Amino acid sequence: MQPQAIDPSMLARAISALRAAIGEKNVFTAEDDRVAYSDHYAPDESVHRPSGGLAPATVDEVRAVVRIANEFRIPLWPISRGKNFGYGGPAPVLKGSLVLDLSRMKRIEIDEENGTVLVEPGVSFFDLYDFIQARKLPLWLSVPGNSWGSVVGNALDRGVGYTPYGDHAARICGLEVVLPEGDLVRTGMGAMGNSKSWQLYKPGFGPSWDTMFCQSNFGIVTKMGLWLMPEPESVLGFDIEFDKPEDIGWAVDVLAPLRRDGVIQQSPSFGNWMRSAAVMTRREQWAKPDQMLDETAISAIRKHFNIGWWSVQIRTYGPLEINEATNRHVQKAFNGKKVLAMKPSRWVKGDKPLGSPVSGTPISFPLANANWFSGRGGHVSYSPVLPPRGDLALKQFQRTKALYDRYGMDYHASFSMGERSMTNVNQVLFDRDNPVMAANLDRIFRALVVDAKEQGYGEYRTHIDYMDVVAETFDFNQHALRRLNEKVKDALDPRGILAPGKSGIWPAGRRGARA
Amino acid sequence: MSRFSVHCVAGLMAGLLLAGCGKPPAVEAAAGGKPPADWANPGANAVQARDASTPEQALFVEKCGMCHREMGMGTVILARRQPADRAILERREDLTPELIHVAVRTGIINMPRIPRGEVSDEQLEAIIRHLVKVKP
Repeated sequence: MQPQAIDPSMLARAISALRAAIGEKNVFTAEDDRVAYSDHYAPDESVHRPSGGLAPATVDEVRAVVRIANEFRIPLWPISRGKNFGYGGPAPVLKGSLVLDLSRMKRIEIDEENGTVLVEPGVSFFDLYDFIQARKLPLWLSVPGNSWGSVVGNALDRGVGYTPYGDHAARICGLEVVLPEGDLVRTGMGAMGNSKSWQLYKPGFGPSWDTMFCQSNFGIVTKMGLWLMPEPESVLGFDIEFDKPEDIGWAVDVLAPLRRDGVIQQSPSFGNWMRSAAVMTRREQWAKPDQMLDETAISAIRKHFNIGWWSVQIRTYGPLEINEATNRHVQKAFNGKKVLAMKPSRWVKGDKPLGSPVSGTPISFPLANANWFSGRGGHVSYSPVLPPRGDLALKQFQRTKALYDRYGMDYHASFSMGERSMTNVNQVLFDRDNPVMAANLDRIFRALVVDAKEQGYGEYRTHIDYMDVVAETFDFNQHALRRLNEKVKDALDPRGILAPGKSGIWPAGRRGARA
Repeated sequence: MSRFSVHCVAGLMAGLLLAGCGKPPAVEAAAGGKPPADWANPGANAVQARDASTPEQALFVEKCGMCHREMGMGTVILARRQPADRAILERREDLTPELIHVAVRTGIINMPRIPRGEVSDEQLEAIIRHLVKVKP
């Protein structure tokens, strides 16, 4: 059998068995369904077209689906809600897989006193927000730029938000997982049948497995424990604009120590003018289709929207008397620095609700950047992780900008400040109906990978088209990490049914499909 | 890692207002994108109403509201293509069951398709009943 092949007769038998197991109306194999589970923002959707979708409603049904997939050796591609746009949406790496859609699993159990929640994969950030608001609980979410998606799926893919709880994977506390052969396991303290601290203590006893299920294909997470931020007494901070592209260098050096020593506990993200402009306006209003956006056009956009070449929002959280001191400390760090503008921001408990992602309000409008080219747009990101140093940020910006110019793309970047690292998100917006641009998208992505690899930088998360390309760069000791991943894969999933190719991890029998 | 920028709330609100006048922002119209005077909490007001008075409307809010109520991606993009009062679906009087069905299942331009696992055929019918019957 070819490594990519899925046996049509086995598939047909699997689908009959699946219909019997979870109900005819929860198995979707019409052409419309196959299209609906494709990557809506890809230049060519057919590359990752699935054979259909399945939507079980309970963990028992998920286990039944997994057993059937093993019996007929049909690959499953689990999605929580399938809103990971820019990374493939609901679509599988391996064409012809069945998408295991967990959207219908929407249970929420909240522990108000301890500020934790146990959620199923179908719960979106909006669902959880509505649940908390309906009960008027003093707990805040951390939401990503597109909060349409799943709380569970985003954390498993190591998504990020804007509050001190913005490293979502780091706030996971206990999982329930269906393993690839159908066994059911609970991690951490949940491994005790009557545990009272599943969502309270992360490590458990012996090895800790939670991170093993992030960005992997080792199991299907059916429940996730997460910590939620208690509503703080105050949120203070600054919105800072920078006039020149070179300002990124010194600005990173101002923030890096404040992140390292914990004065700033969220991850401020320097975004260039395009990050804001692509959401607020369309390209055709500023330039002709084949014309590059030169400094004149960029200046016009910046002037119109009153934005810097770079901008950053810094927020600090906590009791007001502590927070005011913290904020003064942040302000002092910028003393004597040449910023274009530095606007203070202040919210204190009792003020009208902040209603912003910095207070965990879910949003979807940043995805309006899909409309940058007016027609059918798409976006893909390349996001290497760097040491948090200004000189490296400046060089990274210069090299990357040159590649965007070479391939005719509009430079769209941010540098997000972690505690010990800096993630440089390079978003490539493109017009899906422009074949030249689609071809250049692939070229620039591969060029960005090569460039970052030369510098010793690797990516934190990637699109389904490039999982093998990125995995290839993790090459210590002739790809020892890949050998480990695939040894684990074969042990847990001997028939290779779960998400073949996810993060470059292929099961035995399909390794020839590696791109 | 699609990061939010506080400019966007102010800019999008300005964009919605301009669209309401039937004039997309032009290069020269520099005044249009100025942030509002109330800048005490920049980035605020991204919150949308999540209320519902019928089960059908509750389903609309749960499945569609994040994009098709205030500040949603759908509302923001629709406001660029037509007058702002037509950008909020629940205020429209011209939506037909056929149009809604096609938009949901096949997607429209920037709107991704909604698979049946997320919104079942029965749920879609209820949402259609809500949108076709609601009036401002």
